[in-house]
Amino acid sequence: MIAFHRFKLDNGLTVIHHQDPTTPMVAVNVLYDVGARDESEDRTGFAHLFEHLMFGGSVNIPDFDSPLQFAGGESNAFTSNDITNYYDILPVQNIETALWLESDRMLSLAFTPKSLEVQRSVVIEEFKQRYLNQPYGDVWLELRPLAYTVHPYKWATIGKTIQHIEEAQMEDVKAFFKAHYHPANAILCIAGNISQETTVELVNKWFGDIPKSLKPERMLPKEPKQEDYRELTITRAVPNNAFYYAFKMPERRSFEYYVADIISDALGREKSSRLYGRLKKDLKLVTSINAYITGSLDEGLLVIDGQLSNGVTFEQLDEALWTTLDEMNATPLSEAETAKLLIKIRTVKEFQEQGLLNRAMNLSLYELLGDANGVNEENDLYQSVTAQHIQELGKTMLRKENCSVLRVKAIQA
Amino acid sequence: MNRTAQPTVHPVQHIDFVKPHIFDVTEQVRLLWMKDVPNDTVRLDLFFDAGIIRDTQSIPAIVHSLLFSGTATQSSVEIHESIDALGGFLDTDLSFETAVVSIYCLREHLDTIALLVSNAITGLSFRDNEVEDTLRSMDHKFKENQQKVRNVAQQQFRKALFESHADYSTLAEAHDFQEANYAQMKRFFKDHYLNGLMRMTLVGNVEQDSVDALIDLFGKWAIDRVPEFAKDFSTSHEKLEFPVDSALQTAIRMGKMLFSKKHPDYIGFQVLNTILGDYFGSRLMSNIREDKGFTYGIGSAIMELHNDGYFVIVTEVGKEVTEATLAEIKLELKRLQEDLVDTDELELVKNYMLGQLLKSADGPYAMLDMYNSVDMYGLDLSFYDDAIAQIRSITPERVRELAVQYLNWEDFLIVTAG
Repeated sequence: MIAFHRFKLDNGLTVIHHQDPTTPMVAVNVLYDVGARDESEDRTGFAHLFEHLMFGGSVNIPDFDSPLQFAGGESNAFTSNDITNYYDILPVQNIETALWLESDRMLSLAFTPKSLEVQRSVVIEEFKQRYLNQPYGDVWLELRPLAYTVHPYKWATIGKTIQHIEEAQMEDVKAFFKAHYHPANAILCIAGNISQETTVELVNKWFGDIPKSLKPERMLPKEPKQEDYRELTITRAVPNNAFYYAFKMPERRSFEYYVADIISDALGREKSSRLYGRLKKDLKLVTSINAYITGSLDEGLLVIDGQLSNGVTFEQLDEALWTTLDEMNATPLSEAETAKLLIKIRTVKEFQEQGLLNRAMNLSLYELLGDANGVNEENDLYQSVTAQHIQELGKTMLRKENCSVLRVKAIQA
Repeated sequence: MNRTAQPTVHPVQHIDFVKPHIFDVTEQVRLLWMKDVPNDTVRLDLFFDAGIIRDTQSIPAIVHSLLFSGTATQSSVEIHESIDALGGFLDTDLSFETAVVSIYCLREHLDTIALLVSNAITGLSFRDNEVEDTLRSMDHKFKENQQKVRNVAQQQFRKALFESHADYSTLAEAHDFQEANYAQMKRFFKDHYLNGLMRMTLVGNVEQDSVDALIDLFGKWAIDRVPEFAKDFSTSHEKLEFPVDSALQTAIRMGKMLFSKKHPDYIGFQVLNTILGDYFGSRLMSNIREDKGFTYGIGSAIMELHNDGYFVIVTEVGKEVTEATLAEIKLELKRLQEDLVDTDELELVKNYMLGQLLKSADGPYAMLDMYNSVDMYGLDLSFYDDAIAQIRSITPERVRELAVQYLNWEDFLIVTAG
């Protein structure tokens, strides 16, 4: 149980406070309700490029990191298709430095041309390092537009192409800040050994005078229901043939999201999972196989990926894979199998709650979903999933008409 | 309100280090136990003298991957099934000098899972089909890694840095995974696992009975020899280039042998290392990422070996700026040797390092790792008290002296791949 207390400033900033008397550190987490899904299709990669610029100096402070490091702390951030999340961890006695820095960059950025030029290059190198210069690094750049036809999940957070990043203009940067970076579009979470009174006082002091803006209304195109089996084969200079089966799955706020998560565990999380046992150990068709979910807020993906053993064809794999999925849909999971999946979830949850930053991030994310207390209800939701739920959802989800397959055929470089 | 001035900063004054309970399993093998855990989680780590250096032809890596591959009576799937049914997670890690097996679980299941793990390893039978499956997977992974410039640079760096010691410098090769050498695998397993346990660490609010049971259960594998680790490496200071035609980036790895954690300059050098490349505001990051935009990231680190240590700078940069990056690194080393570090910068690094030390001691898991990482080398918590004192008192002059002594461009081995 993570105890917390919530309040809201007049300018719309939502604040979550969680007191932990056992730690000398404090975590300051700021979640902005903006991600790659909020970009326009001809300017992708922007939310992520912007995340880099947030470290390039704010209106009153030339450099973000140095003062935080001087206070004994460190900071980082990540961008997903849904959100942009910034965090600072520092000795609790220096919390004001983090609040000073975070509030100033919420107020306004410095917008120096140098920062834009440098971060543009850094992000291009990141694009190369993570997506282009790795075997299989570009599969998500191919899989997303196959699985999504209109929803902005069809591009990756890094962007559709390097060109979009190369072309980013300062005007775009400023407009993006104005639309998405203000109190009403943010959730601040403070976790550590700090009292409620002090938290209220300090947050008001640093964030209270930031002007109010209207929370942007999100009007994303709704992905039409998939009704066709989509297949795409690409050839790449990679060592082994690889496959990616992506199934549309329910959105984050639905109960079925949790069911789908458990289905992915049953299929391919552990070495006792169905696909691992059947396709790798029994049939020796693959050298690796995994199943997982993207964790997206809108309709996301359940993905099965892996690599073929030498001499095995994509057709052989395809047949065995669908047989395993059909069996799963035909017969409910045994009590023992369901129990196994649920106790693993409980274990993971206990370990996750160990970490101060993890708690701060999860509270923020659940607040975005509607209620920070969701973090305390999550395990019960998982534990209430039954074999019947799994079979019902499996039947609608694990079907060819709901599936997009990307095959990577290996060729010599 | 003044938004231009930083709020008052209070440097870290004191850190509470907590010593774990220590049990002697044998004269050589100890168990470290951190009991004060405020929830039901438990982690047990078993450290074996089964690192990469202990055999050739990738035998340590293969045996490590096979540890849970089945016994005469249980298949690998059945073993994993039984541990999963109790919500347990297994993790394994292999480095130069050590192999680690870790169990993560809830405390009510520790006794049973420990028994399952013990039975699985004791009874390991090297089933043909499991060995073949593991070799197939390792072969594919090996080929994939050969296409990553970062991995190629890392491997070639290791080979050249440790060239004076064949056991440290021998690299995996494709044919290691083509055919199983059962006799060699079995011998290695017997010598380095069944008679190779070097230490155990436990974090969890369990009963003393459980700890006693773990000692009985795994104590049978306690090592009965004194494992030897290399020292006195010698390295040629050369530049090696490994072209990868299709690569968009070049991986750079440069470094030199340094000293072990027991060396009197260790902490001072950590301060120098932090200034140069071990935090986001470091000289290398500020220059090569934040000013030039050559890379997504660059960093430096001290890597610890049992009796020695080495220093390394790691980055991946746009192919066309490889030489420009090396020139900037050279410049940064020279600046540290010639100019005194600014007092503001040194103050910042001191505060940062103390803040990170505070974080590293936060909570039972972090604290146990921290203790273990000195106990392993025969040091104790006074290492950290001494570190705090040394970090606080180090002067710009001393930092420059250390740079002059240890950061000569001519002493570095440079490896590029891309």
